[in-house]
Amino acid sequence: MNVLDYVKDHIVYLDGGMGTLLQKRGLQPGELPERWNVSHPDVIVEIQKSYFDAGSNIVCTNTFGANSLKFEEEELKSLILAAVENAKRARELSGASQEKYIALDIGPMGKLLEPYGDFAFEDAVSVYAKTVQIGAACGVDLIFIETMNDSYDTKAALLAAKENCDLPVFVSNAYGEDGKLMTGASPAAMVAMLEGMHADAIGANCSLGPGQLKGVVEEYLSYASVPVLLKPNAGLPRSENGQTIYDVDPREFAADMADYIQAGVRIAGGCCGTTPEYIAATRQATLGMEPKPVTDKNRTLISSYTHVVEFQDSPVLIGERINPTGKKRFKEALRNRDIDYILGEGLAQQERGAHVLDVNVGLPEIDEPELLKTVCFELQAIIDLPLQIDTTDVTAMELALRRYNGKAMINSVNGKEEVMREVFPLVRKYGGLVVCLTLDENGIPETAQERVAIAEKIIRTAENYGIAKKDLIFDTLAMTVSADSRAALATLQSLNIIRHKLGCHTSLGVSNVSFGLPNREIITAAFFSLAMENGLSAAIMNPNSNEMMKSYYSFRALHGLDENCTDYITNIGRYATVEAATASSGKTVAENPGSPSEGAEPKVASDLQRAIVKGRKEQAAVLTVKMLECEEPLDIVTNHIIPALDIVGKGFEKKTMYLPQLLMSAEASQCAFEKIRQKMTEGPSESVSRGKFVIATVHGDIHDIGKNIVKLILENYGFDVYDLGKDVPPERVVETVVEQHAPLVGLSALMTTTVPAMEETIKQLRKAAPWAKVVVGGAVLTQEYADSIGADCYAKDAMATVRYAMQEMEKLAK
Amino acid sequence: MTENTVYVKKYGSGDGGFPVNEREIWRYCGYMGMAETVDDALKELLSEVRSELEGAFSYKVCYRRMELSWQDGMPVLPFGVQSGDLARCLAGSREVILFAATVGLEIDRHIARHQRFAPTKALLMQAYGAERVEGLCDGFCREIADQAAQEGLSCTARFSPGYGDLPLETQNDFFRLLDCSRQIGIALNESLLMTPSKSVTAIFGLGECVGEKRRHGCADCTGVDCAFRTV
Repeated sequence: MNVLDYVKDHIVYLDGGMGTLLQKRGLQPGELPERWNVSHPDVIVEIQKSYFDAGSNIVCTNTFGANSLKFEEEELKSLILAAVENAKRARELSGASQEKYIALDIGPMGKLLEPYGDFAFEDAVSVYAKTVQIGAACGVDLIFIETMNDSYDTKAALLAAKENCDLPVFVSNAYGEDGKLMTGASPAAMVAMLEGMHADAIGANCSLGPGQLKGVVEEYLSYASVPVLLKPNAGLPRSENGQTIYDVDPREFAADMADYIQAGVRIAGGCCGTTPEYIAATRQATLGMEPKPVTDKNRTLISSYTHVVEFQDSPVLIGERINPTGKKRFKEALRNRDIDYILGEGLAQQERGAHVLDVNVGLPEIDEPELLKTVCFELQAIIDLPLQIDTTDVTAMELALRRYNGKAMINSVNGKEEVMREVFPLVRKYGGLVVCLTLDENGIPETAQERVAIAEKIIRTAENYGIAKKDLIFDTLAMTVSADSRAALATLQSLNIIRHKLGCHTSLGVSNVSFGLPNREIITAAFFSLAMENGLSAAIMNPNSNEMMKSYYSFRALHGLDENCTDYITNIGRYATVEAATASSGKTVAENPGSPSEGAEPKVASDLQRAIVKGRKEQAAVLTVKMLECEEPLDIVTNHIIPALDIVGKGFEKKTMYLPQLLMSAEASQCAFEKIRQKMTEGPSESVSRGKFVIATVHGDIHDIGKNIVKLILENYGFDVYDLGKDVPPERVVETVVEQHAPLVGLSALMTTTVPAMEETIKQLRKAAPWAKVVVGGAVLTQEYADSIGADCYAKDAMATVRYAMQEMEKLAK
Repeated sequence: MTENTVYVKKYGSGDGGFPVNEREIWRYCGYMGMAETVDDALKELLSEVRSELEGAFSYKVCYRRMELSWQDGMPVLPFGVQSGDLARCLAGSREVILFAATVGLEIDRHIARHQRFAPTKALLMQAYGAERVEGLCDGFCREIADQAAQEGLSCTARFSPGYGDLPLETQNDFFRLLDCSRQIGIALNESLLMTPSKSVTAIFGLGECVGEKRRHGCADCTGVDCAFRTV
């Protein structure tokens, strides 16, 4: 009987610890346990047989760290083959009568993935794929991915298993005391992602004793629609007279496990510190216990790498601002690959209360798959909201979904056969909640009935792909009411039917309704309220609109979704104000014209200079706006901003001012610059640029603190900085310098180990871009070092870089 | 005695029992001995940073105690290389403690988030994180020293890969011996740096009469170019 058939009607018992038992038998510190499959097969067989004898249904192969990062291919093959043979031998030798299965054990490879680590996602998939291919060929019954403490790494392993075999896959994560994975995911977030990708059983193992995992297990049981597994440690180890003792004994362990099995856990075993005795005790304690049926929890979930967003009665707000449609500045940012601008839009929406961010970077002239992938990745590096991947380009959609850390929302599919044929397989493979537009080959139907009929067709088709109704969310298409006075009615009626008769979730891009009307916000917000009343589960909307946020909080309060109106009371003040940001800070300045009191002031020529020297951002912005009324933008830069920066820069060099002050001034002058840039894009274009400067942390180095500071200060002094980021291959630096014909290049390296990469970059630059001057910096560099690798300049800090860059630009000008 | 087990110690969130030393934070920001000159705006920013990072730290140490033998005046360690500086540090020891400590990944997230739009804040977070992990190491070493005192032993200063002539490559040995990734979630990257970034690996010795001078000071260090050097 297949293990999945067996688990349908039975409690499944796993094995217990392996590593701890091998240490008792003499495994040395730092020795790789996988080698014992070949060097001590008798020990492995004996341990595994004792687990089968104790009643384990599933015994894992001794392959926790068997991957291509630790072993050469030939050895890897022989170790995995021996491991599977050992387990099979143990199964043959055991006289126990229960069903017996062998799982290929896969533990984390021990590298942290980007963006926090330096290991690429696809490389991780390849590492796991190798182990899966070898193991599956040896004839195991299932794959057991365990002890994963990072959601992204877990996704890579599961993807590798799914792409390289047809075996059942169990996935188990290691949670800390805070009930989260090391990289932050909650159990619910893992359930969402892993079920979306069709793991066959999911749960927790290692790190804690059974008692401490109570919260984690309960969360799994309330969210999971597949069997839940649990494999805790025997508590914590402590040292007693040179012996390692675990603080939970078999009896106590078994009693806790019996409670969990009663509550619904279906697959149970032990991890570090547990022995066959623990498994036998667990068996004994659950003798005759009926397995609790596994039910579909029917919860509609999406997730980020930390948490889930659940679609229920309270509407979900999906921020629509990351989208070039109708936005000149955003289009410009996309063309220039100005990722910072896009991230700024994301952060601002999160700040304003969005629950999910829609991500649309479609422009005809750009490489959408590449850019969508990059933007999603960069957003996930700093924002923990789930994303809605919004594209009509299926290649872009797949690339983004594959790399997404969590279970994404997908925008969109519709009733057209061809579109469903393209999109549903992606939803099936990577998981996701997909927005379904109620239109088809014949366009958007006028009546509610016809839209509902399309929804029904989409539900049937999705089912054929194995996609459940709970993973579909219907958009009944908000049309422009100024063009057709009955347009809103059809949208709302079909929405109501789909939500209440078909029992599906619904979503609308609400802003569309008001095109062509004055004061759009007002009617959009009214439509939003009506839609919520008709059962809207989610709105794609502008969180910057106060009217929308007011409607949202009011609706929740009026609809019994906000106990004691707490959320309304807490939040409404932020949105109930007039657009007052500029008005109020203007007032502050009037009352407080520069506050020149504190300490020994450097001599300053103006309030703006003082604001910048003191690092007062808001004040710098307001003063700049005021000055722009009567002064030329470039005069402000030359007469006020640059002198202010010089004051701070000199103070820094003389050590009368320190790095935090230098940065605060830089931030303040950026605020001033932003205002000047705005003013200048209004008028005929005139450049404030001092010249182009390409900057990068070299290949192999992922430390960019210093590089970012240098970039900021350079921008302050008016350089056009092309920041290539960290770990940048020499070729990319050369490519950009040539493409931009940049006269200046800055390279940073923190490690002695990465200085050779810096040298190589300089070598390539000399060949392809002989005009470029290269300035280097970073913790390990010295003047001698810089000279030896052929740099033009060694800069000890940001100010030194600026001085050099200005001096070179002056030379060029002459 | 040499034990095969790697032990894990976890400390409460908040300050983990290691009081915050703001002077250290300012020192990491570059105010060498000039912490009293920090202006009010920055002090306020630091208090903002501290409240934003409330609960963001998760203090963990994994460690292993091993016997130490000596051969020709050098300690016999399961490392790929020898180091004269480390030998001097461990002089007189008959056991060693190898440990890895981290304050978790959350601080890195906060830094990444602020890096682009609030670099001053990011800098203060960097400094705060560094102060926290050093505080954790000091606290852990104190605990072990107290235990050792009961056995009549004292401790040497701690010594990390990259100090003196102990090459950074020794990180690989620490990771192999301490199983850091599984035990407390530290990963080592290709250039031998750790994630979470606020992590430390180190070794120190235990012996009957070692460690007159507990802290590894600037005078012992060969990094004469170091911006933080005080002697």
